[in-house]
Amino acid sequence: MTADAGTGHAIDGDAILRIRDLDAGYGDLQILSDVVLDVADGEYVTIVGPNGAGKSTVMKTVFGLTTHMGGTVEFEGKSIQGLAPERIIREGVGFVPQNDNVFPGLSVRENLEMGAYILDEVPEDQIETIYDRFPILRERSDQKAGTLSGGQRQMVAMGRALMLDPDLLLLDEPSAGLAPDLVSDMFDRIDRINDSGTAVLMVEQNAKEALRRCDRGYVLVNGENRYTDRGDVLLADEDVRRDFLGG
Amino acid sequence: MGTTDSSIVDSARARPGLLFVALLGGLLLVDLAAKLAGVGLGPIGGSISVDRLGSNLWNGVVIGLVIGLAGIGLSMTYSILSFANFAHGDLVSVGAFSGWGVAFLIAGLGDVSVRALLTVRDAGNASPGDIGAHILTTPGAILVGLLAAFVVTALLAVALDRAFYKPMRDRDGISLLIASIGAALIVRYLLQFVYGSDRRGITASVDASNLAFDPLGLSVNAHELTILVAAVGLMLAMHGMLQHTKLGTAMRAMADNKDLALITGIPAERVVTATWIIGGGLAGASGYLYVLLRGTIQFDFGWLLLLLIFAAVILGGIGSVYGAIVGGLVIGVVFTTSTIWIPSDFNQAAAFGVMILMLLLRPEGLFGGVTTT
Repeated sequence: MTADAGTGHAIDGDAILRIRDLDAGYGDLQILSDVVLDVADGEYVTIVGPNGAGKSTVMKTVFGLTTHMGGTVEFEGKSIQGLAPERIIREGVGFVPQNDNVFPGLSVRENLEMGAYILDEVPEDQIETIYDRFPILRERSDQKAGTLSGGQRQMVAMGRALMLDPDLLLLDEPSAGLAPDLVSDMFDRIDRINDSGTAVLMVEQNAKEALRRCDRGYVLVNGENRYTDRGDVLLADEDVRRDFLGG
Repeated sequence: MGTTDSSIVDSARARPGLLFVALLGGLLLVDLAAKLAGVGLGPIGGSISVDRLGSNLWNGVVIGLVIGLAGIGLSMTYSILSFANFAHGDLVSVGAFSGWGVAFLIAGLGDVSVRALLTVRDAGNASPGDIGAHILTTPGAILVGLLAAFVVTALLAVALDRAFYKPMRDRDGISLLIASIGAALIVRYLLQFVYGSDRRGITASVDASNLAFDPLGLSVNAHELTILVAAVGLMLAMHGMLQHTKLGTAMRAMADNKDLALITGIPAERVVTATWIIGGGLAGASGYLYVLLRGTIQFDFGWLLLLLIFAAVILGGIGSVYGAIVGGLVIGVVFTTSTIWIPSDFNQAAAFGVMILMLLLRPEGLFGGVTTT
């Protein structure tokens, strides 16, 4: 293998999310083996790779939604292995899944309120912050989320995950199902979320755009690490381009 | 004129069943009008008094409210836990027995042995009339009984969940359904063991308890009014809870999407427990009110009522709380007004007939796909 892209998957400094030698899957079916992945504080990291590479499985494993078979997952120095999703949220991780990521029968505001369920009081200032970030949601506040367009629904889903002002936001295919002219708006929004200090770990089918925007990228193949490097380095790498980015 | 005609014909071709139901419904209405007017036209028409129609409708509304109240819990547990709980009817019975036991205890303490009172039995020479459970003579006992019915049934529902359903939370709906039939049998025959299997009278009759509404020719008794007030009150409280509290919003969220609720940080088990408390409590309250309406109690009446409750919930769109209420009213009114046309032995069949028509024409039910919970 003559790739220039790096094959050292860990970072040198401190990482807020630290995954080591992770084996995980569903039931008896192992998907990930020996996955190593770091996200530094405030960093923007994407995972790319072919279908079935286990990209989404990494995220679900961080949230304890898969069968853990070995290795460790640490967040801010604490093991979050085996914690209930409720606890992981409390530690400061937000998750926007790929499909069905809003409660269709609840209003936009109620969707956001559910994101802060673990707090005793509804954090009005945080709702305002999210409305400032996504002004269309303020207009649609009382509308049922199920009646919104795909792009607006994605905003509700992100807003819900941002309600507790997480240190790390997990985004699973945020551009999936969006009309092409909305995709770059969506990436702009993710940039702004990251600019405000939230670390982002994103799985994205739209690999070129994702690598162009992120700080670092991981290429996953068959549930294993293949390449890890800065986004622009991966984009420029010939092997990566040929094998994973369609030339 | 051509366009309207052809569009009607087209839609009739597309939905022949709808046309059939519309024709049948129209025919019944014409027949009803003819009966009210006292005109006989061959097979249709005849005579029926406005009074009788009015009292049929009123009785239907009262029964419908009781069925709808019971249906709320069935629909909630279906939407949040994804299984049809066949033990729900027996929760209705438990509410009736426990609630009336407490009501009797308060109404008859001192005169009759506590054991006889709590087991809702005639004891020695004390008949239900002597114990005197009636809203006009012992309103306090009746109200505390209602509360007791709610609380005891809610606790039992949570206990059944912990014992049977919680360990099976990840199983599919069919396994849980079969487990619930087992739970239903256990509860039903425990009731028979404790309370006996005889049908017995519960409420006292009190003279002058009927309030006549003359203009309509409607005679409404105090127990029916009590049911109306209690059921509507509980339904409004339910509505307020679902729409305006954090717990209610979380219930709607879980009914919408359980997986998302989990990763959003909604504590699923606490919401499930609250669902059993409210759904079970309402089932118990409805059983208690049903006995207030009928005046008699028997260990398996809730099980027999369960079919009508299911019919109401399916009619309204299973999973929808508001659908359960509306479905209950429709089933109740069909149940009582169908006796205008068919012998009263068959009125239950009429109620199921309406449910089957609904399943054929609009399988998702009245509120299905429109609102969750």
